[in-house]
Parts: sequence; C-alpha cells; structure tokens
Amino acid sequence: MTVTESSTYTCRFCRLQCDAGRASCSHCGAPVDVRAAVSDSGWQEQPAIKDMARIQFGQSSCQIEGTCVPSADFNLGGEESVYFSHHSVLWCEPSVQMSPMPMKGGWNRVRAGLPLVMLQAHGPGHLALSEDAPGEVVAIPLQHQQAVWVREHRFLAATGNVAYDWQQPGVWFTTGGGNEQESHFPLGMFVDVFHAEGGPGLLLLHSPGNSFVRDLGPGETICIQPTSLLYKDPSVGMQLHLEYPNQGGVMWNYNRGYSYRQVWLRMWGPGRVAVQSVFEREESSEMITNHSPATLMRW
Amino acid sequence: MQLLILLDSRPIDWFYGMTTRGAGTVRGMDRIECQWCKAQNDAGDKSCGTCGAPLDARNLVSDSGWREAPRLKDMTEFRFSSSTCQVEGELVPVAEVNLGSGDSVFFEHHVLLWKDESTPLSALSMGGGMKRMLGGMPMVISVAHGPGRVAFSRDASGEVVVLPLHPTMEMDVREHAFLVASHSISYSFERIKGMTNVLHGEGMYLDRFVTSGEQGILLLHGYGNVFERNLAAGEKILVEPGGFLYKDSSVQMNTVQQNVKTGLMRHGMYLAEMTGPGRVGIQSMYVHHHSG
Repeated sequence: MTVTESSTYTCRFCRLQCDAGRASCSHCGAPVDVRAAVSDSGWQEQPAIKDMARIQFGQSSCQIEGTCVPSADFNLGGEESVYFSHHSVLWCEPSVQMSPMPMKGGWNRVRAGLPLVMLQAHGPGHLALSEDAPGEVVAIPLQHQQAVWVREHRFLAATGNVAYDWQQPGVWFTTGGGNEQESHFPLGMFVDVFHAEGGPGLLLLHSPGNSFVRDLGPGETICIQPTSLLYKDPSVGMQLHLEYPNQGGVMWNYNRGYSYRQVWLRMWGPGRVAVQSVFEREESSEMITNHSPATLMRW
Repeated sequence: MQLLILLDSRPIDWFYGMTTRGAGTVRGMDRIECQWCKAQNDAGDKSCGTCGAPLDARNLVSDSGWREAPRLKDMTEFRFSSSTCQVEGELVPVAEVNLGSGDSVFFEHHVLLWKDESTPLSALSMGGGMKRMLGGMPMVISVAHGPGRVAFSRDASGEVVVLPLHPTMEMDVREHAFLVASHSISYSFERIKGMTNVLHGEGMYLDRFVTSGEQGILLLHGYGNVFERNLAAGEKILVEPGGFLYKDSSVQMNTVQQNVKTGLMRHGMYLAEMTGPGRVGIQSMYVHHHSG
C-alpha cells in the first residue's frame, strides 16, 4: 500500500486510488491491512478477498461471500447490468431481469466447450454467482479502454460496459499423423478478451487454488504451464516453448511415437501476467509433429 | 434481533438488556444463546454444546440477508442424547461420532470413513427401493449402534452443517447432501418433478427428516460454502436447483422456467422458487448438468 494523502492510498493490486478508511479496496476488494507477499522470484500473491468485502461499481456493488468457494453477490441498481455464463447462477431475487446476450460464432463455441449462451441481468435486485471449484474470486477493475486477456472458463462476470470478444490464441501443436493426427490446444481453442469501452468497468474471474501476479519488464520472459494462465495484459506476448530435457543417453522413448518433453507457454513483457496454482496437467506425451510458432530447447 | 447479526452492528445492550459475544448472545451473567441453533451454553464455552458453532466468532451476514453457516473449528465437539460428535479437519471435514449405549445414527453407506470393529451395523428398512435406484439414490440406509465410534465424510471440499431438530420439526434436504442423523429422527424421501437442471431432467429427490418426541441432530455436507436465509411469509427467492441444500418443510419449492434458452438443444432454464416462511440453505459449489 502506498499512502498518497491522509485519506487515500494506491492499491498495490489494482493500482487505483482508494479510500484509506475502508477495510478493503473498493475497486478490487483486496484487503488493505495485508503485507505484500512477494516470492523471491517476483511473484506477488493475490490476497483472497475477505469474506463479506464489498466492491463498488457505479451505483451498484458486489459483495464476496465465503472463503472456500466464494460467491459474488451483486446488488444491481439503476441502469447497470452484469453478464455471465448461465451455469454460474446461484440465486437471484425475482425482481432481477435475465435475458440472453447475443453471441457470435455459436458453433465454434460449442466445439471449444465454451458456454453457448451468456446471460445479462438487470436490476434492481440481488443476483449471486459462483463457480464449482475451491478457489478465489479475482476482481479486475478495468479503466476506460483497458483490455485484458483471460483464459477460457475463468470468467465469472463482467459489468455491462465491458465488451466481450474471444480469439484464437495461436498456441497449438499436433501429434500423430495421417488419420491418427490429433490437435492439441494447451491454452484451449479460444481466449476471452474483455475491453472496457463505455467507461470504467469491473471483471470478475474465478481462480482455482491461489493466484499470483507478476509484472514483466520489456523483453523479460517467463515460462509457465499453459493451463495455469489466469489472465494477462494484451501487451504481453506469448508462444509455445518446447523443451527436451537431457536423457543422459538413456533412450527411454522405447516407442518412436513418444517423446520426453515439456510444453511451456513462453511469455514476454511488458505487462502483467497472472497464474493460478491449480492447473490441468498435459496427458499426452506423444511426439509433436507440427506446432504453432515456438522456441525450442534441447538440453 | 436482526441487528445482532449485522456485520457492522454496534453493541445493543441497551436494546434487549443483553450483550453480544461473537455468534452468541449473553443472557444475564452466565448463559450464552447460540445464534445458530438457539441453544443455551455456559458463559465460558467457546463453542455451542448442541451444534458446535463457535461462540467467539462474529456472525457473517451479507447485505442481501444470507448468513454464512458457522464454520466449525477443527476438533469441535458437541453432544446429542448420550453420544458426542467431533468434527475433524477443515477442508473436507470428518464427523466422528462416539455413540453411547442405546443410541444409533443412520447414514448412506458410502459416507462411512471408519468405525470401531465392535460397532454394530444394520440396515434401515426402506420403501420404494426401485424408485431410489432409478433416481441414483442409495437403496440401503445403514444404521450404526452404540456403544462404539464411527466416522463419516463426503468426497469434496466443503463444510459440515449441524442442524439440531427440535420436536415436530420437518426439514427437507437435497439428495446426496445428508451425512448422518440421530436415531430420534424419522426419514423419508420424495421426488420433485421438473427440476431439469438436476439429474438430467428427471427431477430431484428430497430427503425428509422429521422429529417426533425427542430432539435429534442432523448433519449435512455442504459443498463449498453454505449460506442460510430466513424467508418471511410470502417472501420469494429464486435458487439454482444445484445450489439448493436444505429448507424447512414450511418453505414451498416450485419450479419456475426463465425466459431463457440455453445450450445447443435450447433447453429451458429452470430455477427453484422458494417461498417463505422458513429457512433456506444453499451451497456455493455444485455441478450444473445442462451447460450450453
């Protein structure tokens, strides 16, 4: 926390000016009274939003309830709305109006396992959302024209003035050949892109496990497990990094179809990168036959 | 009394002639009323002897009126009849019951974690076996008899919710949430039709627990966090059926279709409309079966 005036401070997580008299940041819910937990390697732990902390947006607010599988309880007022995937609805008041949000590319979304329908909720009234895994709610306040890339299935809700799009991340590889060729998408087939177009907005993600944030300097690189990516600034570049550890002369790839290798997501700055501590491990270890642009390391 | 459970409530000794201490309310000099189950406890107690709720922790109530179920501290112990129950662990808690002579508890057999070799087991006679099997419910409800120890747990992170049931109380619980109940509670079940979000459109089963002459205790496993709300007469709330955990039988539950179609097959979206009076409990983690 950096105190600039007697009554305000700069939140170290969302970097916005906040009222020092509150127990938590009104923009992102990060607790005020915690010391920065930064690892020796430079990852800053995103502190869990405290039980019952409130986040303000416009005339509406969001209260985070629970610690194991937190739910986001929106109190929608005025003309404000939020949108979300329909499977994350936990409860709502009868006064809340829910309607489908038009989406493009429905077939591609179904193929990618993404929700086909997003719902938009208008107040007045309360609406609560939650996901189905232990973890944390991560609140990202977006300033006007600010954008953020989010890995698929991490999105919980966004305010109506945040535009939503989805793109191919351009990170893939194939294994096998001929009729047995298989395509792999370590990041998923699509990433969600959120862009605050109509003034400041709020984006809520659900992060399984704990989440950690890091600011990469220009040209600074880091390799992460692809499925551990939570979000990143658009300025952060990414591509595949294929690493083949030294096997010490032991040819344990007894079958030509298999290889001893590690698939990384190589990211470079400038910008923020956030990871979650729970991720899916790659099951395939078949030999890679083709891939998107990648760096290669054979030890 | 609502003032007692607001997060930012100030001392209201002047109001009721009592003082608050965490989740408990001190009446007079030497008794504390548990705010979860309303049982009386000695002033020096750290947790309620009837339900295990911590008496030295603040109640957490959201602006919308949901109260978090008390998070039982590791190794909390409480009593029922001539038996005791100790809740162990916090991520996936275990309920360990030390049954007194003449006491028994019943449970679904797959929640059994361990038992003393000498603790006798029997089966509860149940009707509607075929219906239960078709509904994915266990056909047999097991009974453990005292004296002896037996322990129970479910298969995912969450919390144990302790509900002491006073005589003539009736409680409806979603399928597969019931952990263990004491012998003085009678058990039946019913099917709720039309909850398409649950069991792939085939409806859902509710376990019904009723106490007769003697107080009993019912333990549930809520996935994720558990919240409870007390609905006034006629007050309504819409709940995703997968998030529903329990309700007083006085609360009416109806299926309400929303004006939204979801998924490739354009399924209708259904929510459970709960109408008071009575308590409704929800869990924050559940599997939604029909995501599009």
